[in-house]
Amino acid sequence: MRSNDAISFAFAAVRSQPMRSLLTALGIAVGIAAVVLLTSLGTGLQRFVLQEFTQFGTNLLQVSPGRKTTLGLSGSMINSVRPLSLEDAEAIATLPHVRGVCPSLFGNVPVEAGGRSRRVMANAVGSTMPEVWRFAVARGVFLPPDEPRNARAFAVLGHKLWRELYGDQNPLGDIVRIGGDRYRVIGVMTPKGQFLGFDLDDAVYLPVGRGLELFDREGLMQIDVLFSSDDVVDEVTAAVRRTLIARHGVDDCTITAQQQMLEVLGSVLGVLTFAVAALGGISLIVGGVGILTIMSIALRERVAEIGLLRAIGATRAQLRWLFLGEAAALATLGGTAGLVVGAGAAWLLHAFVPALPVAVTPWHLVLAEGVSLAIGLGAGVLPAHRAALLDPIEALRAE
Amino acid sequence: MRLVDRVGFCVQSLRSQPTRTLLIALAMAIGTAGVVVLTWLGEAARHYVVGQFDALGTNLVIVLPGRSETTGSAPPLLGETSRDLTLDDALAVKRSPAVRRLAPVVVGGAVVAFGNRSRETTVLGSTAELLPVRRLTLGMGRFLPEDNAAGGAVCVLGATVARELFGAQHPIGEFVSVGDRRYRVSGILASGGMSLGTDLDEMVVLPVVAAQALFDSPGLFRIIIEATSKDAVPLAVADVQRILSERHEGEYDVTVITQDALSSTFDGILRALTLAVAGIAAISLVVAGILVMNVMVVAVTQRRAEIGLLMALGAEAVTVRRLFLGEALLLSVGGGCAGLLLGEATSRVLPHFAPVLRPGVPWWAAAAAVSVAVGCGLVFGTAPAARAARLDPVTALARR
Repeated sequence: MRSNDAISFAFAAVRSQPMRSLLTALGIAVGIAAVVLLTSLGTGLQRFVLQEFTQFGTNLLQVSPGRKTTLGLSGSMINSVRPLSLEDAEAIATLPHVRGVCPSLFGNVPVEAGGRSRRVMANAVGSTMPEVWRFAVARGVFLPPDEPRNARAFAVLGHKLWRELYGDQNPLGDIVRIGGDRYRVIGVMTPKGQFLGFDLDDAVYLPVGRGLELFDREGLMQIDVLFSSDDVVDEVTAAVRRTLIARHGVDDCTITAQQQMLEVLGSVLGVLTFAVAALGGISLIVGGVGILTIMSIALRERVAEIGLLRAIGATRAQLRWLFLGEAAALATLGGTAGLVVGAGAAWLLHAFVPALPVAVTPWHLVLAEGVSLAIGLGAGVLPAHRAALLDPIEALRAE
Repeated sequence: MRLVDRVGFCVQSLRSQPTRTLLIALAMAIGTAGVVVLTWLGEAARHYVVGQFDALGTNLVIVLPGRSETTGSAPPLLGETSRDLTLDDALAVKRSPAVRRLAPVVVGGAVVAFGNRSRETTVLGSTAELLPVRRLTLGMGRFLPEDNAAGGAVCVLGATVARELFGAQHPIGEFVSVGDRRYRVSGILASGGMSLGTDLDEMVVLPVVAAQALFDSPGLFRIIIEATSKDAVPLAVADVQRILSERHEGEYDVTVITQDALSSTFDGILRALTLAVAGIAAISLVVAGILVMNVMVVAVTQRRAEIGLLMALGAEAVTVRRLFLGEALLLSVGGGCAGLLLGEATSRVLPHFAPVLRPGVPWWAAAAAVSVAVGCGLVFGTAPAARAARLDPVTALARR
């Protein structure tokens, strides 16, 4: 039997029972559609989160006070006996490959302008912030590079804060009161949106030295270091660490490379996507049981046919392949239908709910198709084996 | 046909095809078990998280400095404010009748050293009331002194910190240095493990005044208040808002969170998550339903003659339909119950390996899983049953 014939034989068998084949394939299709849709959602979410982080660029190092232990934040971000100082930031800025350094701290302040008041986040940052955080000014200018300990009282408003305080009016040159002190507005930032629950638009940006004064603090909460290219990340990390050890006497800061964080985050989200896909996979297993059931029913009905095939010279191996082929054909048909439906649903979802991140990747489609094929083959093994073992004489007598 | 006869008929026809029956029941069982186990896991996770919040204390009200007016964003959990929450604020709040006790908290990072060993830890500045408010237990020695104004140069170490610094040596009464100051160790906290992401064992507790001096900052990080009773919580919140606004020149610039609100938020999120996951698993029940339909269609074709005979003997179309529906029902009930048993068994065995999980499937999850399974069987059994009922007895018999 040529392979061409074998394939047409398998498909003819599938076609001869359209209702049955349709329902079997439907079972697999539902499973595959679920898996495709879920992985699309998972991958979309993964991309969305990574994008959130990469909007600040990938050539970033974060220096925060305190040795970070097992999880998350150390208490040093709030208070520390050896704070990160402006001088530390200045020392880091002189290192090779470093393109910009943005010292920062944040807090919650009331901002008053023209009789209106709003409590928002105040970010006290260096004048390099737009470059380091990739955050552009929409109107006016950003904070000037003043001597940080004696900066002029200028403030830049976040987009939303501007709207809330001024509506459509031009705020430039106006005086606002921030935590009781007077500041002149010299710019408005472009909208940037939320980041980790912080609304960067509902915020006000102050010179870092003024922030230290306003919050009565000695230390910064963070220093962001922008360096020239991805290749020098280790070199810059080491240099920053050396500098800080030289200045503090001990290694008492945590340095996190943005790239490193992205990798960890990416792998966590990848595992999550896989887990969700595995949930959908339960239906695929059930679909597989469906193929197994239908194939064993078909086997009973077609005993005579098998006997005839064996009588005219088909070998056991060939018979086995024929039945396996039929199971695979059912699964692939279902898989393809499910793929189309799943990808279509993902696309529709994206079209109607644009806020929902959805990403259909070819790699997942290939994987889904492969899985459906594998399930078909797995479910076909037992019936195929039984078909091959039939005694031709007994089988023919069944007619 | 009597009910007993109908059931007997269905059982007999199922038993005549054991492989087929078993496979369909298996498919149903896998789906049901999936739903049951996932719901159980979700519920166990929810109980664990809610339990963590309950373990924080009872009737707690937490005051944070600063208030954010950005809608939908997180409260200012970290960060500074232009007007600090002070120790005097805390003492003023304590005068409210709704407040049983409260603990002001200052947090920071510092190096703790004893002899030539040192360790970077989280330093918590608080008062003696932290112990009951936060439900901490003392391993040995005494907690901070009651008289917090005097403070005194004493500290309480977390279990891990004590072990790392002292090893086998007895720590009580020894002097450790925190930052650049020296404190006498008065007690060791019992090893309490993790609490909401904070490792209580990796902590040093100082008197609040000492911590403020150490970090050179007058501001408090939190005030943790225990209300006199559950009913007093809203009263305590109102009092805190009123007292602090008065003290802050009429400005309401703090955030007040109640433990209940916090835990019910997480409760809601996890409940939704559980339902979503169970819903995804329930797709497999639909697939199992399709399988039931498929096999029933096959059976109707194969049993034409039998149906014809039944009808010729006087069985009505309704009876034939009921017979086939009954078969689908039996299959899905059997499969669903088997799946339920499998899921229940999993939920009993797994907690032996992961003790945080609470054994036992919630009854509503079990009921929902089985009824969805049965529902799927019935819905998908309807079409083949109708097909069987529509058969013309004459042609059905003639085909033989």
